[in-house]
Amino acid sequence: MAADPTSHTHAPHDGAVHVHIAPPRFYWAIFAGLVVLTVLTVKVSYYDFGSANIIIALIIASVKASLVAGFFMHLRHDKPFNTLILLAAFLFLSLFILLTWDDLGVRAHDHGYAQKMSPETGLGAPGGEPMTSATADDVAPEPEGAATGGGHGEKKE
Amino acid sequence: MANVSESVAGAELVGHDAHAHPDFLQHHFDTPTQQFNASKLGMWVFIATEILMFGGLFCAYAIERGLEPQIFDEAHHFLNKIMGASNTVVLLFSSLTAALAVRSAQVGKRNLTSFYLVVTLLCACAFLVIKYFEYSHKFHLGLLPGHCFGHPGLSAAIQNGQEVGTCLHVNAQAAPVTPEWVRAVDEEGHVTLLPPRANMFFGLYFVMTGLHGLHVLIGMSILTWVLVKNIRGKFSPAYFTPVDLGALYWHLVDLVWIYLFPLLYLVGKPE
Repeated sequence: MAADPTSHTHAPHDGAVHVHIAPPRFYWAIFAGLVVLTVLTVKVSYYDFGSANIIIALIIASVKASLVAGFFMHLRHDKPFNTLILLAAFLFLSLFILLTWDDLGVRAHDHGYAQKMSPETGLGAPGGEPMTSATADDVAPEPEGAATGGGHGEKKE
Repeated sequence: MANVSESVAGAELVGHDAHAHPDFLQHHFDTPTQQFNASKLGMWVFIATEILMFGGLFCAYAIERGLEPQIFDEAHHFLNKIMGASNTVVLLFSSLTAALAVRSAQVGKRNLTSFYLVVTLLCACAFLVIKYFEYSHKFHLGLLPGHCFGHPGLSAAIQNGQEVGTCLHVNAQAAPVTPEWVRAVDEEGHVTLLPPRANMFFGLYFVMTGLHGLHVLIGMSILTWVLVKNIRGKFSPAYFTPVDLGALYWHLVDLVWIYLFPLLYLVGKPE
């Protein structure tokens, strides 16, 4: 099987390990593509597309990650089940992050920002309306160290 | 089993009880292929757990960024894009050489495998050196989250044995829990102000890149072990699993950095 680039996992059934062997210049081509994408993502970051900036950065990063996983990590010619494991990890990670992210929008916070209050009582309430700054000061004063992890901080006079 | 053993070239056969098999094939596997696939499956499950471990930090990042995007807009200018991009290219190149090391092992070019493994290890060192310069610069600017966050030249003051008392006094007033903006010196030496709680950004930066850096060190240990085994002639086209799995770990390190770099260095409003 030595240097034969056409050798493949499924070819012979003698029990010995047979894997897809790509020529070195193929790996160099993948590397060139990765460098081009790195330069691209740095260049793009100098333009302001608003909230689309992070989307663009993540799309480019995902293309780079796919190239690394697919070819450097051999997933393209590997057992499909290994790809399934990687995709499952990403699926559950995105569930974890997206559901947490979604939860933030309906939650009252201890800080002076993004607080919600009940329109009837004026008290802090998750799922209520945004607090005015005056109410926020009355109802929920700036918290001490523990809430923000400061510990040594002194309260503003 | 006999026909299996004969087909495996370059491997020393151990025979006992009329049961000859290559020396690398463990008894609970029928064939080298089965052993190879099982090893790879195990490695991919491990990689999945690694992704989920970093995932907790990415989730923390998403929460903090969702709450206070202005912190990221301001604070990410303290990270040097050029250094970050250089480190990205260094890691990508090390991934390339790791892949080429596996390729050389697949075709039985032992010396070439060693060469590529050494290049990969040198790239890993280069990555850590660049990271060292980035970290020490931020320590110097007082951007390490903690008691004295935001005090410019803190480490210099401590080295000269002066102004430390003043520093602590200043920082008691500019502590992150107050709504005061924190004084800091940026890359060009200009004194600027960081929003309150900007320490959250640098906390994420140091923990995420720190955990990644730890993986770089572990990856270097694994690749060194693989290199030693390779020099001792333990691998052949019939058995190169440790080279393959060691490289997979190294690619994982690369994979994590591919996401860390844009999320920490590149997002936020350009100046």
